[in-house]
Amino acid sequence: MTQAHHVVVEVNGVKREADVEPRLLLVHFLRENLGLTGSHIGCDTTSCGACTVLLDGKAVKSCTVLAVQADGRKVTTIEGLGADGKLDRVQEGFVAKHGLQCGFCTPGMVISAYALLQENPDPTEEEIKTAISGNICRCTGYESIIESVKHAAKAGRRRKAPSRPSRRRS
Amino acid sequence: MSVGFVDEEQDPDVRFVRGAGRYVDDIKLEGMQHLYVVRSPYARARVLSVKGGITGDELKATMESVGEDAGGRSTVSFPVLSASYVSYVGQPVAAVLGGDKYEAADKAEEVDVQYEPLKPVMDPERSLESEPIHPGTESNLVAAAELGKDFELKAPVEVDETLRMERIAPNPMETKGMVASYDGSLLTVYASTQSPFSWREGLAGSLGLKEESVRVVQMDTGGGFGSKGGIYPEYVVAAYAAMKTKRPVKWSESRYENLLATNMGRGVRGRMKVYADRKGKLKGLKADLLVDVGAYPLGGGAWTAKWIASQLVGPYAVPKAYATAKAVLTNKVNMGPYRGAGRPEAAFFMERMMDRIADETGVDAAEVRLRNATTRRTISPLGMEAPPSRRFFMEALRAFKYSSRKKKEKVGLSFFMLIPAAYGGESAKLAVKGGRVKVWMGGSSHGQRHDVFAKKLVSEELGVPQDVIDFQHTDTAAISGGVGSWGSRTAILGGGALVEASRSLKAAAKKELGKGYSPARILEGDYEAEAFFKPKDMLNTLGANLATARLTKEGNAVVEEVLSFYDAGKVLNQFMLESQVTGGVAQGVGEVMYERAVYSEDGQLLTASIADAGVIHATEMPKSVVMTAAHRSTLPHGAKGVGESPTIGVPPAATRALEVLLGRRFTTLPIEPEKLWALDVSDGGRTR
Ligand code: FES
Ligand code: FES
Repeated sequence: MTQAHHVVVEVNGVKREADVEPRLLLVHFLRENLGLTGSHIGCDTTSCGACTVLLDGKAVKSCTVLAVQADGRKVTTIEGLGADGKLDRVQEGFVAKHGLQCGFCTPGMVISAYALLQENPDPTEEEIKTAISGNICRCTGYESIIESVKHAAKAGRRRKAPSRPSRRRS
Repeated sequence: MSVGFVDEEQDPDVRFVRGAGRYVDDIKLEGMQHLYVVRSPYARARVLSVKGGITGDELKATMESVGEDAGGRSTVSFPVLSASYVSYVGQPVAAVLGGDKYEAADKAEEVDVQYEPLKPVMDPERSLESEPIHPGTESNLVAAAELGKDFELKAPVEVDETLRMERIAPNPMETKGMVASYDGSLLTVYASTQSPFSWREGLAGSLGLKEESVRVVQMDTGGGFGSKGGIYPEYVVAAYAAMKTKRPVKWSESRYENLLATNMGRGVRGRMKVYADRKGKLKGLKADLLVDVGAYPLGGGAWTAKWIASQLVGPYAVPKAYATAKAVLTNKVNMGPYRGAGRPEAAFFMERMMDRIADETGVDAAEVRLRNATTRRTISPLGMEAPPSRRFFMEALRAFKYSSRKKKEKVGLSFFMLIPAAYGGESAKLAVKGGRVKVWMGGSSHGQRHDVFAKKLVSEELGVPQDVIDFQHTDTAAISGGVGSWGSRTAILGGGALVEASRSLKAAAKKELGKGYSPARILEGDYEAEAFFKPKDMLNTLGANLATARLTKEGNAVVEEVLSFYDAGKVLNQFMLESQVTGGVAQGVGEVMYERAVYSEDGQLLTASIADAGVIHATEMPKSVVMTAAHRSTLPHGAKGVGESPTIGVPPAATRALEVLLGRRFTTLPIEPEKLWALDVSDGGRTR
């Protein structure tokens, strides 16, 4: 076994520390070391997006990042979306439009859609498709997923009405 | 008896969007070890020695049943761990345990296997003249069938064609996996599965255990598409390792392993000849099928050839038909069911011929089909029963607005029959306690959201609100028997069983409560009812698809839109049905344009990543429009099967649309990418 490295990662707003092997993938760190099993593993070639998380606010495939590369940085996983026990609007969109079947691709899809709406609150259908084109869903044929993202975008625009405080996360 | 991993009271959608799904790989048990399987790098080789790990000399088990109508044993036994020879790349030869995945993979490096490579048999067309791949056998022939009577015929139109559907990987997003734990008498297995009961039977058989000593609990299951109905050698090894070490063992494969060593679907060649008059009316049909069953003829390998042949005539009438069908061995991973399992092959072959007849006679493709459709129930000369089809297809054409679309667009059409896997029936159980109703079914949802129709049916039958009903994952300890979820069967059979169980529970409550009976009083009591539903009537149903194709600016042909019109009987939930169908449309289009398993001549899988396997992305998905004809079935809830309809109907329709657009004849799926490219894009493909 190679030498362990000490990493400190802020995961979903909480500082987490561990001694890890340099080869440990971030997705394994999240799933095995921290028990955050919402990020899934669907491939070994960075093709499926089931493992997508936010690293310093940007969507990344956590199977392609080493845990040591996340040292000192901020990670948001599916478990970290929403606040006070409530779902985030993207999650709500997926429930409202049933943007899933088996649920396996769902956490990665939700995170990718979340990252898209952070950057582009009013995406076109083509932009949504492109944003989730790194995420594979074998069940739904994507239509309901696209509808879910549109639903979330609409809810976001409504929430941005002047009198209401924004619930956007940083 | 809940295992406590899954919060069954929470809405599955909500669990999944929170990342609170509970899949096999999410399980952590005290002292759990990880199993890593050492696999053959050769497609065919003698195994000279295996040193290290659990080997086939230690675990002398063979696969006793691989589920989904496994159809008994074959003369060739499929070893759990091969000790003498290997027959496909990825075949398990040994296994090691480690504290985590990394450690287990490291330990695998220490296993030393010596092979003497042999020349593999890869081409099914040459399989019969090649040396038998299994020592001690006479040939590579697994099954040969002859259906109908041979005939001589002269007809004004005679067309023959050789058609192919290449092998494809089912590729559920969650790969296969399980956790086994053993307490000295009971082996408990947490499974990613379509059928806990097939697993129980298979594991007990291979390990020489009584079925009562094996409990299989389904976890959230991330898709299956046929590949998770039966059991695989890895499951037996993991269970054995848990029993041997008396510690829980997890096995969860990588995508690479999934692609190498999961049964693949299709892989069928059909030589078709049709005889017709000048108006396109069929006079006769001859077919010769060849099925590539891979290395071990279990679980469908032996009967698929005949099964496909039996349904070739589809929803049409033909006076004479004769089919021969063979299944042969090759040095590839086994063939297994993939969404549709034989039905898409039959429909593709027949529908391609319908289009050929249209081309030869100049009669419109829809008209040719209508001329051969039926007005009463028929039994084809190949032995398959079909409902009257003409009226339904007229309905479909109206729904598609076929005539007007045909004038403006490049369209392809398909008519087909779906034969649900009704054989064996299905079970359901209800238990009322503490004001809540728990519901189980023998076959397990792996993405279909059976809970939605289950709650609806039970609520309607018992008169209790849906929110007191908890849909449970299948657990062999909770329900006394069951079959599995595949073949478009669960809504019709499991649904039928739910209705029957609800009715008998209600009858019991009525008897006990007498005049005081009310639905609310049911909830105050303790009741249980189980039913095993076996339909008596034929459940075959009809479907039609229309696809359009266009050229992109760059000159690539793509499928633009797919319309589905399926007779789903009384629709249990329109939204879920549309979601299922659109998912199937994606797979159907994928099969036409992208998905394929390619092997090198020496038996290496060249499409060994999910990207190479060709699974469709959001940007490649055509528009899907789903329509249904609600002609009630004779079942208690009036529903009909639908799950496989799109993988049956979409490939021929989409292939035709591309053919019309490009003016090239397509006989093999998937279509080679270079053939989907138009040389001249000046007119957007409109004149072709
Ligand atoms: S698991 Fe990370 S992209 Fe597939
Ligand atoms: S819902 Fe099953 S993979 Fe997307």
